[in-house]
Amino acid sequence: MIKLINAELKKIFRKKSFLIVTIIFILYCILTNVIYKEMDTLLEMDDLSINELENINNSLNLNDKEDLEEYITNKTDIEISKLKDKYKSMEIIIDKYLYNLIYERNNIKYNTLDEEELNNINNNIDNIMSYIKSNNWQYFTKLEKEEIEEKLKENKDDERLNELLKLKEYRLKNNINYDYNNYLNNAIDTIETDLLEYYNLKNKEVLTKDEEERFTSLKEEMAINNYIIDHKVDANNSNTLRAVLTNFPNEFGLFILIYVVMISGSIVSEEFNKGTIKYLLTKPHKRSTILTAKLLTIIILIPFIIIFMSLIEIIIGSLILGIKSLSVPVLIYESSTGILKSYHVLKYLALLLISTLPEYLILALVCFLLSTITTSTSAAITITFLFYLISNVISNLALLYNIKIFKYFIALHWNFNYLVNKTSNPYNFKPIFSLGIISIYIIIILCISYIYFNKKDVKNI
Amino acid sequence: MNILKVENLSKKFGKKEVLKNVSFEINKGDILAFIGPNGAGKTTTIKCLLGLQKITKGKVTINGYDLKKNFVKAISKVGCLVEAPDVYMYLTGYENLIMQKNYYKNISEEEIMSIIKLVGLENRIYDKVSKYSLGMRERLGIAIALINNPNLLILDEPTNGLDPEGIKDLRELLLKLAKNGVGILISSHNLSELESFCNKVCIISHGEILSVKSIQEIKKIDENKYIIKTDDTTKIKSYLSSSDQIIDNNYFEVIKDEIDIAKFIKKLVLKDINIYEVKKEALSLEEAFINIAGGKKID
Repeated sequence: MIKLINAELKKIFRKKSFLIVTIIFILYCILTNVIYKEMDTLLEMDDLSINELENINNSLNLNDKEDLEEYITNKTDIEISKLKDKYKSMEIIIDKYLYNLIYERNNIKYNTLDEEELNNINNNIDNIMSYIKSNNWQYFTKLEKEEIEEKLKENKDDERLNELLKLKEYRLKNNINYDYNNYLNNAIDTIETDLLEYYNLKNKEVLTKDEEERFTSLKEEMAINNYIIDHKVDANNSNTLRAVLTNFPNEFGLFILIYVVMISGSIVSEEFNKGTIKYLLTKPHKRSTILTAKLLTIIILIPFIIIFMSLIEIIIGSLILGIKSLSVPVLIYESSTGILKSYHVLKYLALLLISTLPEYLILALVCFLLSTITTSTSAAITITFLFYLISNVISNLALLYNIKIFKYFIALHWNFNYLVNKTSNPYNFKPIFSLGIISIYIIIILCISYIYFNKKDVKNI
Repeated sequence: MNILKVENLSKKFGKKEVLKNVSFEINKGDILAFIGPNGAGKTTTIKCLLGLQKITKGKVTINGYDLKKNFVKAISKVGCLVEAPDVYMYLTGYENLIMQKNYYKNISEEEIMSIIKLVGLENRIYDKVSKYSLGMRERLGIAIALINNPNLLILDEPTNGLDPEGIKDLRELLLKLAKNGVGILISSHNLSELESFCNKVCIISHGEILSVKSIQEIKKIDENKYIIKTDDTTKIKSYLSSSDQIIDNNYFEVIKDEIDIAKFIKKLVLKDINIYEVKKEALSLEEAFINIAGGKKID
């Protein structure tokens, strides 16, 4: 049997199509990594928007009331953008303290024209700007801290205020400025923003379904950001190899499918098409042995190809994005218990890939079955792709409509991602039920394949 | 004991019966020429013998093993070349042989090298098969058929694409194998190629075996063709039997044994017909078969 499998592997690896798909995959892999690296630059369009806003402003009629309002808003946006560009480490401060003042100043300048007010506001702005210019961000933190402490005197047990106070102290102690490029700043900022909504929802007695979902996602977000602060790990950065790897099935799933279909769609039919089946079936082996060798080849190859693809991605990704991010764990929030679990990236990737393996295995078997029945490679590949597309449609339909027959449709069962990501099954199936359905499908597919292959006549050419 | 025994082999495709009670056998050292027109069921028979197509009715025994019940044992000493030599074009000739070898137990690479020499492919064996000519692929196909040291060799039109040198080599190779006790079934559309070295002939038409005879039996058929020259062939028309024919104004041919031809000529001379020339021509295998098959023309 090992010799037979060996021969099958040799046939597959020596084919040109295998080499071509691999080369395309490597190129695709390089491009994906480059996109991840440059994602921010691609999304960053501030300069363009400043220009655009200026153009809009030039076209506005300042005598019109609505136009004037828009003009003032745009003007303020432009000024704030320019300030943020200049004082990177103060971005949040500029938003928080200067936006309203600058808007007011523009309003007076172009609308109310009250000189006294304007002076007042200018003084205020200058005062704040002096701290910004000297990069004295601590001033603002201390200011906020004092405010909180003041409030706490009245209400000592306010959980939200206590947490806010801790964040301010953390910021000062760890010297974290207000730069959006600083992941710790972003984490603190996110928690500070979330806290208010979180406690509002927490104190509510009855939550609607939407509110409950929002509450869960807030808890998750806060848990992850607290972990980032506590462990000082840059876990939300999407421009890293770690981010590519955690997205692996989404980014490269199509390529896995292409490999799977390419191999299992041709493994039987090509022998018939090329006539090589005549040699294969006149060897001292039972037909079922020959088919088993082919089947085992596919089952061995799928995990091997997925590992091979992951390795290529890790090599290319580490060259383009660096390997530093691999030390940052993947954080998974288990909503049912509220526990945050951390995994090593590679362990998470392995679990993720194992959880999607049944899907590729079933698709491979479907393609294998079609390849055996039709003895046409193109038919097998095309029909399998159609089956995959229809499966996606039905999976989505099943989310919307509760139709009983869907319960037994394989595509609702073949993905176990939810176990790895600690979310609940979208269709409320138990894993054991899904495994049962998968086994039944596999048995049916194999039975048909074996019966067909054993009975098949090699037609005269 | 015979190597191959085919008993009442029948094959149906749907309702159409393509083989009807086909029976013949091959013994040690036999070279059986399997002859029939296109669509007679030659390749179907061969495919049934090899298990490539399921037998509807009948029994095939190879080396004492029933093909249906004990396929693996029955097929293990069979070498075959069916239709074209379809090998993996993206591999080299050598890789193809190694791949075929791996389906058997205990075949050494030295044995493979000697087979390569035997079929005369040693110079091109490491080239990709896609670069081979048809004749070279045919040689590779024969090499694959020999790889398991078979005692039954089934070759379906193996002379296709071979040059005269190749055909001569194949003939010598097959004679040598037969001498060593290998039973050979060989089908070909070119009957004259087989005539010189087969010892048994089997003719099939419309899925039925018309005749199985040894080559000696055929050669014993004491009939010969005579080409006779006369002054005007229209005059002798009434003396000819159905198997005889007029070639042109001066020549006509008759098929008779030696005693009859003498009587025939005497009769013509007595009837005042001028005979200028009588030439004896041996019957070819094909023509002999036309006679056996009762005048049915084969391709």
